[in-house]
Amino acid sequence: MSVCYKLFVYFKEHKYYGKQKLSGKGEWMMEKATVVVIGGGATGVGILRDLAMRGVDVLLVEKCDLVNGASSRYHGLLHSGGRYAVKDQEAARECIIENQILRKIGKSCVEATGGMFVRLDIDDPDYEPQWVKGCADSGIKAEPITLEQAFRLEPLLSKHVVSAYLVPDAAIDGFRMSWQNVESAKRYGGRFKTYREVVDVLQQNGEIQGVTVRNTITGEIEEIACDILVNAAGGWAGKVAALAGLEVGVQPDKGTLLAFNQRITSHVVNRLHKSSDGDIFVPHGSITILGTSSMSIPDPEDTSTSREEVENLLSIGEKTFENLRDYRMLRAFAGSRPLYMPPGGASGRGASRGFAIVDHGKDDGLKGMMTIVGGKFTTYRLMAEKISNQICEKLNVKEPCRTAEEPLVPEVAENDKKEARKYFPAYGTDLAATRLGPERFSRVVEDLKSHPEKRELVCECENVTLAEVEEIAKELSSFQINDIRRRTRIGMGTCQANFCALRSAAVFAKCGRDKGAKDSLGQMKQFLQGRWKGIRPVLVGRTLREIEMTRALYELSFHVDGGKKA
Amino acid sequence: MSETMNALQKKAEAMLTADHCLSCTSCMSSCPVMEASKEYRGPKLVGPAHNRMRFSQEDVEESLDFCSNCKSCDRACPSGVEVSTLNMLHRAEYYRTHPHSQRDDMLAHGERMAKRVRMLPFGATFANLGMKIGKCFGIFGSMGIAGERDMPAYASSSFLSMFKGISQKPSEKKVVFYPGCFINENDPEVGVAFVKVMQKNGYEVLVDEKFNCCGSPLVVTGYLDEALEHAHNNVARILEWKKKGIPVVACCTSCSLMLKKEYGELFDEEEMKEAATNVYDAFEFLAMLEEEGKLNTEFKSLSQSLLYHVPCHLKSQGFGTPAARILGKIPGVKVELADAGCCGMSGNYGFKQDKYEISMKIGEELFGRIKTANADKVISDCGTCRLQIQHGGHVEPCHPIEILEKAY
Repeated sequence: MSVCYKLFVYFKEHKYYGKQKLSGKGEWMMEKATVVVIGGGATGVGILRDLAMRGVDVLLVEKCDLVNGASSRYHGLLHSGGRYAVKDQEAARECIIENQILRKIGKSCVEATGGMFVRLDIDDPDYEPQWVKGCADSGIKAEPITLEQAFRLEPLLSKHVVSAYLVPDAAIDGFRMSWQNVESAKRYGGRFKTYREVVDVLQQNGEIQGVTVRNTITGEIEEIACDILVNAAGGWAGKVAALAGLEVGVQPDKGTLLAFNQRITSHVVNRLHKSSDGDIFVPHGSITILGTSSMSIPDPEDTSTSREEVENLLSIGEKTFENLRDYRMLRAFAGSRPLYMPPGGASGRGASRGFAIVDHGKDDGLKGMMTIVGGKFTTYRLMAEKISNQICEKLNVKEPCRTAEEPLVPEVAENDKKEARKYFPAYGTDLAATRLGPERFSRVVEDLKSHPEKRELVCECENVTLAEVEEIAKELSSFQINDIRRRTRIGMGTCQANFCALRSAAVFAKCGRDKGAKDSLGQMKQFLQGRWKGIRPVLVGRTLREIEMTRALYELSFHVDGGKKA
Repeated sequence: MSETMNALQKKAEAMLTADHCLSCTSCMSSCPVMEASKEYRGPKLVGPAHNRMRFSQEDVEESLDFCSNCKSCDRACPSGVEVSTLNMLHRAEYYRTHPHSQRDDMLAHGERMAKRVRMLPFGATFANLGMKIGKCFGIFGSMGIAGERDMPAYASSSFLSMFKGISQKPSEKKVVFYPGCFINENDPEVGVAFVKVMQKNGYEVLVDEKFNCCGSPLVVTGYLDEALEHAHNNVARILEWKKKGIPVVACCTSCSLMLKKEYGELFDEEEMKEAATNVYDAFEFLAMLEEEGKLNTEFKSLSQSLLYHVPCHLKSQGFGTPAARILGKIPGVKVELADAGCCGMSGNYGFKQDKYEISMKIGEELFGRIKTANADKVISDCGTCRLQIQHGGHVEPCHPIEILEKAY
């Protein structure tokens, strides 16, 4: 019965709810794109932008919201390449080149903090000259500074630092970067669909026909036809390949990170030793991220973190910043690096951080399908350029890649920001401008101007106004409060949604376009659960006090569980 | 962010406590300024919340100007965030790049002005006359000082000069009295009463003319560098006395709070914390004597009902209200706590024209209490609280030490 029922549902949905249109001849016509990209991570959005800019008809599908995998569950570090200067100079060279490009094209998502490499007295002194040489050979400017300078720039550094260098590391916001790539692609006709999971790869006579996707919110099924299918699913690339009956070796390698409530550092601070766990601090907006670890896991969906992992990171991190434990942890989070495993390759930190492009037409006889896997966030643009070059060759498109020259999004003009300051809360204008971009920013400013009540903050910790939350809540791509969170930073500060969960649920119910937005209680609970997931492993000290207040508010005062026994 | 701020951010104790904020909003619900004015965005936002966001751009939180440094937020905070001190640090940072008004200069530098006045023959008389005339002609108003208020008049002679005329019974047990600007210049009788009380308890009182203003008026108007100079001088003096085993005692609660607590919160130097252990408020010191059974309790009967307004800056020192207990031991004396929150004056805050209305609104509850309590005398340890009580409560208050002195 169940098979019959599924078939019934499948056809029913195709007919009544699918996105297909009736063509003039009376045939069902499916949605079509020349290229379909699977995966809304850094690589996927990079390809979407690159191809769209070259005039290719391209559509991206992502099973969750954008950058839900490794591309946001990471340090937020735009590598200078210093990290790879000894072990992998090719990667180091790629990093410094891409670092310079992203600083130029991504002014609204890159914060040019600069980086510092510090060697502690416990670190191998022989590594330092190797590293200095490695940087020089890779074209990375590593400027030695005195300890006095180092402590002035980073007053909290451990007094066990014995040498320090400045490098051009920077911080990059993965959420903003991805959305800005999508915004850029949209200007050139690129399309994207989030919450669409690929459930089948359609092929005929060894040629790609398209994909079947399932709307993960409504369960609707639809088919999208394409000539070329790009598997950029990161940790899930093996699963997508399997749908096409192919094999791609991807080893999810989990990295756990800790977010602290303050900017403990002003620079990215790296330990000057052989790359290891917990040795990089990144000042990421209002917070600091410490990480990471490296652990092979079977399932990329596993983003769990444990108290042991947190303890491990703290005990390493406090070597660089001795008073680290005095600082409030906000949460722990984890993501999986999709390490490409060519047959017989190394794993974990030994595995290459390089990337691979597989043309399944050549290798497996499935024409039109390609996989891109591995690599680093910092080099996402280069990866996108390389595979787009191959795609364009197949499509006979002659347009060259322009992603390195054109800014991702236009910047909000200085004058407009200055003018807007009187409507924004203090310290709120510039960040809102980089999050929103010129068009949305001017709409939000107009709203703040004409409705002074919308200057109220929905999120007091991250300084987000009601007008901005409404603007993003109205977007067609906002299906959950979490989608609004990733674009505005609501709920990502000190109180971890304690105060804004309630408020944002109300805003979303009022402004959200998706009918699911009306389920305020469900939305709010889902939002809070997401926050609590990251808080559980750091439930000590003040974080514990914070969560007790949250529990008192939501479970006692608001009675959100309706009195059900656990 | 400037480099000084960067260093401050990483170093000042108050900055570190900002990280302890749970966003619980207790501070907002107990802030008297927020209750009186919608213009102040409140301690949590202006203090710890904005502190996290300062990295993003050079900006000014206009409403920071509304914080009166009454420290109600610090007392309400269950996590030990030094919210008001954070605000004072940020205010100082603001004035590193913005000019001070003439008014702030005047309100912050009472000590400097008083020194000039005292150098002239009959300086105090002329200065008082000048202030009356100035008020009549609206000169203060045009400077931004609340024209409704009288500036505190200079006493005909300062405490330090009166002290020279007091003959004391010498004793092995000694304390150094820290008068502070207000008692020294405007209300020397409080100091004289203190000396008499200490004599009755077998102590000889010393003064140290090398002390200067504690710096409280400088801190609240954003002259932090000057305040640091004062702190260094005063802390060195206190430590000098500590070496000799002689404690420093103050009758002004804002002075004692600054010497004991705020120096450390603002500047975070080890010596400041060490000096703090040698400073006492007058009644805190007397309570210690009482605990050891050494307080002279041979009181005369006074037959007086007292209404006690406990200053915010006394509450912030966390030693309870020993004045109420000790005065309660005097036969015939009944002490009632006003329990009416902040008086609204907060040092020089209530003197600012643009804050006058807020100041009076905050004081309403206390004024009402004074009216209904109908006590024989209103008492308060803080000089500027007494000015507010006089102005808004229309009574002549005194320092609790003056009552105690009468009982011996």
